Amino acid sequence: MREPSDRDLVRRARRGDREAAAGLFRRYWRDAWRAAFAITGRRSLADDVAADGFERAFAALERFDERRPFGPWLHRIVANRALDLLRAERRLADEELPEIPEVAPVHESGDRSLLSAVAQLSLERRVVVVLRYGVGMTPKQIAATLDLPVGTVNSRLARALEKLRELVELEHVD
Amino acid sequence: MSTELERRLEELLGAAPEPEAGAGEEALHRALRALRPAPPARRGLRTAALAFAATLVLLAIAAGSLAAAGALHVSFGPKAKARPAATQLSVPEGADGIAAVVDGRLSVVTRGGFRLQGLRVSAAALSPHALYVAAGISRSLVAMAPEGRLAWSHRVRGTVVAIAWAPDGLRIGYVVHAGGRFVLHVIWGNGTHDAVVDRTVRPVRPSWRADSLAFAYVGAGGKAIVYDLAHQSRRVVAAAPMGGVTQLAFSPTGAQLAVAGRRGFAVEDRPGRSFSKRTLVVGIGWLGDEPVAVGSGGHAILRIDPQSNAIAPKRLVGRAIGFQSNGYRFVVALRSKGSVRVLAGTWSSYRLVLGLPPGTAVRNLQIG
Repeated sequence: MREPSDRDLVRRARRGDREAAAGLFRRYWRDAWRAAFAITGRRSLADDVAADGFERAFAALERFDERRPFGPWLHRIVANRALDLLRAERRLADEELPEIPEVAPVHESGDRSLLSAVAQLSLERRVVVVLRYGVGMTPKQIAATLDLPVGTVNSRLARALEKLRELVELEHVD
Repeated sequence: MSTELERRLEELLGAAPEPEAGAGEEALHRALRALRPAPPARRGLRTAALAFAATLVLLAIAAGSLAAAGALHVSFGPKAKARPAATQLSVPEGADGIAAVVDGRLSVVTRGGFRLQGLRVSAAALSPHALYVAAGISRSLVAMAPEGRLAWSHRVRGTVVAIAWAPDGLRIGYVVHAGGRFVLHVIWGNGTHDAVVDRTVRPVRPSWRADSLAFAYVGAGGKAIVYDLAHQSRRVVAAAPMGGVTQLAFSPTGAQLAVAGRRGFAVEDRPGRSFSKRTLVVGIGWLGDEPVAVGSGGHAILRIDPQSNAIAPKRLVGRAIGFQSNGYRFVVALRSKGSVRVLAGTWSSYRLVLGLPPGTAVRNLQIG
């Protein structure tokens, strides 16, 4: 049997169909969680942010324009929630930006220095880098997710790559 | 064109871990709860309307008969409006502030107008007069000022699980979960001079004596211990309910200590002398010089006269899942079939300060 489209599931979920809502959840939970993890770098925060994203999306389903795709809309909610949380944590706990130790097992010193360089990027640049290279989104998708012009995403990516090259080279010089 | 750096980034960041199965289940449950209820079908509405009309007619006939017989006073007029549910925490009259951790998120509101909601915390406590709130955030103990400004932040080696501010505001006792153990610390109210008091304790909120020179905590063996800051000495409290101490509360004006376990509570009115009661206890505290306990499995607040040991009960609608008092006012969270309600106030006058959906977890209740 053919899988129901996102649009079908959204319509049914709007009418209160819990099975359809659960279908949407199962379809997007993994991606939403990975996006949340890519931004926050911590499992506990990713669990919370992705769950929060779905909660907000389902609560706002009435306002969702069903002619648009559901995935990017959900990702935008999740990404914004993750950014809000990181900003609040940074403001309140005066902590350093979260490291990304769980992203991948690091065996080589080169990888370790690159990972540490990514962690040193500003929050805005780091987010576009992890969405681009960690989640595999195109600049257009990132722009839709973060509600930014594509040009801004491209320039943040270019500057982030430039900075990463600098940092990695500096490390090699040291 | 993909550069060498981009290829390395893809390799490094692309291997993100997968979410755990349990997290998905919980998230799905939360998300479905946020879904708006389905509007009833037209046919259902029509059936319901017909049934309602028929019931009204039958009721009117029955009421008319009873009224005619003088057994019922029937009046028609504007109906009293249902009291709206409090969806945001509010401060009860006369209190300085109120705080709770709802589904892991801090809700705090003070008389001065400070409101903070939604911050994920592991524990929280109001300072005296609700001037500050201390919270465990990530691996830090953080103090926030009324305007939401960060007063200070202190890194800890684990998760803060319990916090208690001294009545004079000069010290904070807190318990950290680290390396499989619970460690008790005391830190100055300005976030400096952190010191470990006991390396193996139970995760119970400490309680400060009224003079702020001593506090009680629960040791690893489940017994209450009073730590004297001036002499840096410890005293094990003899009064002990069965099954170990789960809650402590010093009286607001003196040095009497109430200790509670799951199956009873005891009050030490002077070192070595105590009386106890056996009941299912949910919470313990004081109202003036009288100890109060939420007993009977959470269905009543019991106020004890220390002279006669007589108990005055206040029955609760629902089952208590959390209780705290500041010596003059109390706050209690009640779970019933359709909701979780938080009530706060004095013994004679209390009101709803927060209404929540059923199944919501409420902890770290505190009224200041």
